[in-house]
Amino acid sequence: MQSVLKTLSVLLFAGTLSTSALAADPIKIGVVTPLSGTYAGIGQQVRWGLELATKEVNAAGGVMGRQIELIFEDEEANPSVAVQKAEKLFQVSKVDFLTGTVNSGSTLAVGQLAERSGKLIATTVSFADSITADKCSPNVFRVNARAGQQSAALAAWMSKEKPKAKVFYLGPDYEMGRSTVAAFKSNVDRVGGESAGEVFAPLDSKDYTQYFGQLRAARPQVLYTSVAGNDTVRLFTQLQEFGLLANMTVLGASGTVTAQNISAIGKAAEGFVTGVGYSAEVASPENKKFVEAFRAATKSDPDLYGADSYGLIYAYKAAVEKAQSTETDKLREALRGLKWSTPQGEKTIRAGDHQAEQVMYVVRVKDGKFGVVAEVSGPDAIGADTCTRF
Amino acid sequence: MLEYIQFVLAPQVVTGLALGVAVILVALGLTIIFGLLDVINMSHGEFYAMGAFIALALGQVGLPFWALLIAVPLLMLPIGYVVERGLIQRVFNSPDRHVTTLLLTFGFGLVLEDGLRLIFGPNPHRPETPIPGAIEILGTYLPLYRLFMVGFGGLLILATALIVYRTRLGAMVRAAAFDRNMAASLGVPVEKVYAGAFAFGVALAGIAGVLLAPIYSVFPTMGRDFILLAFTVIIVGGMGSIGGATIAGLFLTQVQAISSLYISPVWADPIVFAIMVIMLVVRPRGLKGRLGHA
Amino acid sequence: MHDALTLDARANHWLALALGLACIGTACIGYAIGDTFYLRLATEALIFGGLALAVDILLGYTGLLSLGQALYFGLGAYVSAVTLIAFPSFWTAMGAALATGLFGGLIGGLIANRVRGVYFALITFGMAQVAAKAIYNTRSLGASDGLIGVPVLDVNLGIVTVSTASPVGFFLLALGVVTLLYALCSYLMDTPFGRLLIAIRTNEARVPFLGFRTTTLRLGSFVLASCVASLSGALYPMLRGFVSPELLFFSTSGNAVITVILGGVGTLVGALYGSIIFTIVKSVIGSWTEHHLIVIGILFMAVVIFLPKGLMGLAQPLMRRMVHRGKP
Repeated sequence: MQSVLKTLSVLLFAGTLSTSALAADPIKIGVVTPLSGTYAGIGQQVRWGLELATKEVNAAGGVMGRQIELIFEDEEANPSVAVQKAEKLFQVSKVDFLTGTVNSGSTLAVGQLAERSGKLIATTVSFADSITADKCSPNVFRVNARAGQQSAALAAWMSKEKPKAKVFYLGPDYEMGRSTVAAFKSNVDRVGGESAGEVFAPLDSKDYTQYFGQLRAARPQVLYTSVAGNDTVRLFTQLQEFGLLANMTVLGASGTVTAQNISAIGKAAEGFVTGVGYSAEVASPENKKFVEAFRAATKSDPDLYGADSYGLIYAYKAAVEKAQSTETDKLREALRGLKWSTPQGEKTIRAGDHQAEQVMYVVRVKDGKFGVVAEVSGPDAIGADTCTRF
Repeated sequence: MLEYIQFVLAPQVVTGLALGVAVILVALGLTIIFGLLDVINMSHGEFYAMGAFIALALGQVGLPFWALLIAVPLLMLPIGYVVERGLIQRVFNSPDRHVTTLLLTFGFGLVLEDGLRLIFGPNPHRPETPIPGAIEILGTYLPLYRLFMVGFGGLLILATALIVYRTRLGAMVRAAAFDRNMAASLGVPVEKVYAGAFAFGVALAGIAGVLLAPIYSVFPTMGRDFILLAFTVIIVGGMGSIGGATIAGLFLTQVQAISSLYISPVWADPIVFAIMVIMLVVRPRGLKGRLGHA
Repeated sequence: MHDALTLDARANHWLALALGLACIGTACIGYAIGDTFYLRLATEALIFGGLALAVDILLGYTGLLSLGQALYFGLGAYVSAVTLIAFPSFWTAMGAALATGLFGGLIGGLIANRVRGVYFALITFGMAQVAAKAIYNTRSLGASDGLIGVPVLDVNLGIVTVSTASPVGFFLLALGVVTLLYALCSYLMDTPFGRLLIAIRTNEARVPFLGFRTTTLRLGSFVLASCVASLSGALYPMLRGFVSPELLFFSTSGNAVITVILGGVGTLVGALYGSIIFTIVKSVIGSWTEHHLIVIGILFMAVVIFLPKGLMGLAQPLMRRMVHRGKP
């Protein structure tokens, strides 16, 4: 009890302090991201990207003369924990802005909390279409590409490179995996491809070999998959073990092969093609500078999560400077339609659904790196605005 | 029809067999520890992960795969021994041993899993397959490493059974499992036998980690993968029974493999679970009885 | 004429009273300084305390370790969320959750009570896994994303109306619900029914000789525990405005078990104290290091080894002496 009282008195004290805040006080950005559990590797990239950008912005004088301070909390990839930590950051740390959520469940739940608390959040990772479509919120922004953009880019590439191919689909058996496969399949059907069959394996499958019989019997030219993380490592390893990679091109959703698992997949990842919002191999001077700085700071390459998180800090800076305020309503107006530059090129936040529009890349793995093989312009990939809430 | 058997059914049965051996390897240590010590080792999956990580680390400093198969269990033996003496024994004589040891090992599993993440980081790793290549028999594609795993795993299961059922050491183990006090009065060093059996179970989990790492990859939460299936296997097989675990492991993985051809694979797990429930209701002791009792 | 068990229960009631008063004190302070986060965190602690209460009924009284109690907590939460989205009424949601607890508890109890000991633990574990997987794959329940958009409610309590958005109001409401659940459980544990459950824990084989059917008794305690878990779970979406499949995952069940062990098995009030302490510890360690599982795991092992009766094992003898002195 005493400790509770103590915390409360500290809180009281902190409360009186912040009301007399000066303009030179730092701008606080809360980061609720998985630092433990299965998604810890993604959380690490998010952290690195945000920290690098914050360091650069602060060194260049901050935002309107104010330094940025990042406050991290581990959400354990569990929406219940995410919401609790987000509330702590909103109410106790009084953060001005919040980001970092990875799985779409957390983003949606934290987004709702932000809406009810009158704060703004942005996700740099979640790619479920619903976040900026039927479940969109006036307080939620997305600066990364959503699933629809990724599969539109990939399908555009396929219609050129592999027209009328026989495609086999292998997805993880849960809502997100199924909808990703369905979205790509409709794109393939549109460009004249043919389905050779589909299989949905349980999440965290140990062994994918039990589906290889069907796969071999179907004799597809292309395998499309939307498994992710550790599951991908197993799938690719086992595909290689069973000699299935020789006569087949593997395509996938952008979370399938990432910086976290590519070294574990090793040679089996060679030739993998995906549509994605970023690659470390993008040949622009901005990106070269970013990749070098990122490597120097972390000794690893950035992936899409690191790059999109890095870009978010600059979007925030641009919006605050445009609005001349960190206050929710003014900042929201400034973020709507905002154009800013990122390592992967210029991005625009569409006012209608708060989805960032950007150039999409089709990348192929060569020697363990994502080489860019095609580009699709932003307007061609983004798809219709279906948000009706604002 | 022939193509269906050749391309779909036969590979399904064969890959199911490999998975079966993998599950039995993980379950084997679990069932010995339960059969002898009456302890549910909830951290068994983490010991399996630990074996895989030790193999990974040793492999990176250049130890060949064959040496790992010996080095890893040898390293895990003292770890298991210390854990039994230092942790399990502390609550071994509490009134509700099942629950207390289950909780204790559950806590230990949390520490181990997070410890592995602290040391090795959250991202997955994979050792290269030590035996690449494959052969094709009647159109069924068989990777050599899986054949090796089934063969080596089978030998390991057989050796374990021989040690437990046919050696003097095994007789002491079984005697201690049947009646602790009687065994002690006949000169069996019960305490050491307990700790030794726990260490043996842990070492078996370690070997499973070495064997499975090249095909299932290595990451801190990998221990959670097999644990429900392994528990199901030892319940259906009869807690503490090596033969029972073997039969149950092969049977359940075949059920899983074949059923996933006809229904959505997600529902293969509930089917296996339903078999466990039915088994418990019809025959609570499992296929075979407890170690030392049958 | 009071036996030792009744005196123990009395000692626990005093501890419960102290907790209740402390909560009301916290509510007053929180209200005075306009706090939101700590009050809502405390509300969450109470809600998960209700789940721990359910685990304690099974473990502390009937001697059955449930590793899947989150099944009923999660079902209660989902039923409450779905009800509230369609028809925003507190009482309807609680009624629906109670019905779910009763019905689900009967089904689960008929399956799980065929066995005991570790088998019971593993069956409850498996049942929760299967149910979590089913919800994870059901599109109409939001699948892996869960359901957001549970509306803010005005709860009509006859004399006052409480909004679930008011931190202090909903904290007191949750305190009321959890207190009622605690009172109901501790009353039942002091009746012959409760004594028979303790008899089952002590020596199940002897109970039939006293002329009682152990299966009925065990089913009774299972259904009671599932209803308590389900009603606690029903409060969750009112607090947070959403439900997600993680509520049914093993981490939720495991945390409830840790809570009960920490607070003290077989005391009921220990579950509530345990939940508050565990929530604080988790929140503090979680912000301090990302390797909180190591800390929590070591802490938990230490309690299992050194404090087999949990924190209540420390507090209870003191209270018992006080109660004894009061009633010689």
